[in-house]
Amino acid sequence: MTILQALKHRASLNADIRFQKMTLSGLEVELTGLSSLIDFNASLLHIQQQVHQDTNTGLPLESVIGNLGPIVAEPTEHQLMSSMLAGHLILWFERIDAYVLVAPVSRPLSRTIEPPTTENVLRGSISAFVEDIDTNIGLIRKHVASPSLHVHSYLLGTIQKKRIVLLCNDNVVDVRLRDAIVAMLEKNKEMNIQNLQQLSTALGFSKWSLVTKFNTSELPQEAETALSKGKVVLFMDRMPFAIILPSLMWDMFAVENDRSFPVIFMYAIRFLRVFGVLINILIPGLYVALVSVNPDVLRIELALTIAKSRIDVPYPSLVETLLLLVILELILEASIRLPKSIGPTLTMVGGIILGQAVVSAKLVSNLLIIILAATTIANSAVVGFQNSVTIRLFKYLLVVLSAIYGVMGLLAGLFLVCSYMAGVTSFGIPYMHLMKPRGEPNG
Amino acid sequence: MGSRSFKLRWIAVCLSMLLTIPAGGCWDNKDINHRSLPIVMGIAKRDGIYKVVLQVPEPTEGTTDLRVIEGKGTTINDIVDKISTNMESQIDLLHLKLILFEDEFAKEGLGDVIESFMRAHDISAKVMVAICDEPLESFFKNINTFHKNNGTVLLSFFEKNAGWNPQVAESSVWEVFRSMNSYTHDVSIPIIRSGTGTVIESRGSAIIGSGRMVGNLTPGETLIVNAFKGSSAQGKIEVMKNATVEIISSATVHRHTMKNGIPYLKSKIRLKVTLLETKGSPSQENIRHEVSKLLQSRYDSIIGKMKATRADILATGQYFRSNLTRDQLEHWREDYLPRLNCEVEFVTVIQNTGLLRDS
Repeated sequence: MTILQALKHRASLNADIRFQKMTLSGLEVELTGLSSLIDFNASLLHIQQQVHQDTNTGLPLESVIGNLGPIVAEPTEHQLMSSMLAGHLILWFERIDAYVLVAPVSRPLSRTIEPPTTENVLRGSISAFVEDIDTNIGLIRKHVASPSLHVHSYLLGTIQKKRIVLLCNDNVVDVRLRDAIVAMLEKNKEMNIQNLQQLSTALGFSKWSLVTKFNTSELPQEAETALSKGKVVLFMDRMPFAIILPSLMWDMFAVENDRSFPVIFMYAIRFLRVFGVLINILIPGLYVALVSVNPDVLRIELALTIAKSRIDVPYPSLVETLLLLVILELILEASIRLPKSIGPTLTMVGGIILGQAVVSAKLVSNLLIIILAATTIANSAVVGFQNSVTIRLFKYLLVVLSAIYGVMGLLAGLFLVCSYMAGVTSFGIPYMHLMKPRGEPNG
Repeated sequence: MGSRSFKLRWIAVCLSMLLTIPAGGCWDNKDINHRSLPIVMGIAKRDGIYKVVLQVPEPTEGTTDLRVIEGKGTTINDIVDKISTNMESQIDLLHLKLILFEDEFAKEGLGDVIESFMRAHDISAKVMVAICDEPLESFFKNINTFHKNNGTVLLSFFEKNAGWNPQVAESSVWEVFRSMNSYTHDVSIPIIRSGTGTVIESRGSAIIGSGRMVGNLTPGETLIVNAFKGSSAQGKIEVMKNATVEIISSATVHRHTMKNGIPYLKSKIRLKVTLLETKGSPSQENIRHEVSKLLQSRYDSIIGKMKATRADILATGQYFRSNLTRDQLEHWREDYLPRLNCEVEFVTVIQNTGLLRDS
């Protein structure tokens, strides 16, 4: 009685805890659960029907109770509360003082399966993951109907439990990778995980990594490819995307959807992405280097045209470039924040009005506008927003080095970026690695 | 512990990157619009005093104006420095494309100037050189009336993908420098003057022997020099008594022997030509013969000039480097070149007779 009373006391703090008395085949029962998670009426009906059926077949009382759900062995208030938060319905049999956890009829609190919102599919499956973790696993099961697909579930956290599910194809998975991830998850059972940063800490990644350690995708198709290549897919409850480990450089350029096109176009598209990344990283730096430090590299005609476009521009090219780059970053950031209906307005103001005005106000040269437009467009050619952020950052390193050392600095910067990327590993797999299914010869 | 050393490493990397900033001297970098980029430099020497004329394109709104700046002094660098001091922007000679020497100066000898260019390296070694056979002042005054194409007309004249013709010699500073220092290799450089209808009038080319202008070649002879050196003689229209042909391609093969201290050089230049114009109806054999004869006579005249001026512009000495000792090579120009026995055979193939069928 004391536990239920304590729970009742809690009810005064939480309006959605509901208590209901009822009689089940002559037994006084009190039900309690969160009305925000449980459809009470449907659940009651369901329980009554089951008990009615069981008593009619002449089962003893213990079996009837046992059929409803597991009996809590040593109930504590804390334990019952967390069961309740997990969405269980608790039945208290007054006469025998037993608490039974019943799987109720839940309220539908998830989206239905919809097309992806952050990725686009041209030819391929367009259903995307949703917040509900079981739906996501189901989607994967639909795509990989293989007995070797294994699903391991982990509950992490002390105060707030978070369910994390690990999927891997045991036939091809990199065993060391899988074991390392499992070990990290087991080790950090106590950690509260609400976001990818915390997950990254739980998996033992450095906080200061400049490249993303998780490749994320909303598409079951992508997750399927990752699994078949021997990667590990994680699902986090209420995260509508698959977290693919490890994230490798090639993920920046290739998506499974490319394979819906003839192979020549596939390579052409991927080459275009590589080219886009190079443009994005190199061009702003190249502009600064050529304008300030090494104009001698330019053809004289081009040198004169650039000089012409920079007449009356008060700032050195570094300041000019950084100024406009920051404005572009702001436009990018703002268009993520804005509701979809206002987005186009911002693009217009940012792109057309600001771009035109900044040139006619002689703050920057119009060549720079062209260069930054190319940069921004190229920035989006990369697969996955998480990768484009990395590239956006590296660009600044190159701009600064170019301002100091010119073309030589640009090259040195590129070398730095390459050597950094070559040095990144996750669970012993280098970032530059091309993932192959286990057993397949490398290279 | 691991993360601590990692952090330390990062701090060390960041610090060392910060240290590179003072090492770069980036505060001395001047943006392109604060640099003057002269594209033509004219040099004359009168009474021991150099005169330098710089042609600087000045980008302004809409068009490009050409500014001509003059200076006098005892050394080239001194003059450029003086001009730079007086200019509102810094003079950056790295974009210089053409150096013009007044012919009097070229006859006197370009040695010191070319050497200083190579030494200081503030002028690219690839800059074209040419000789101007009129006073620099009037030359620059005349060409300044043609400044429509943002001031690059003069270089277009020498550029292979623009206005260059095989009758125009091409030489750069480093080639003149090589001529000054090599025993067996001289150059020819174009002679120009301002034109009336066109910007420039080509006047053939100058024979530079050991850094001095010692003679000159006609445009027709220059063509042979270019063909001999293997640069394409494409597009040249050859006027003869009976026909005009266009040379489509040329290929050269040389054979050399040394007998009793006399160098022999046999050359074969294959020309593919197409017929453009005929007077009457000469036979193909006739045309072939005439082309060969014409070119042969030009070739002989070049060899004659080479022997007279002791300047090996065809670099024939290069072929005998393996036959001579270094001491002998030193005297190539004086001892061997005058005795050089040269034979050339022009093989002309009339590749097609134009759009009319030859009857």
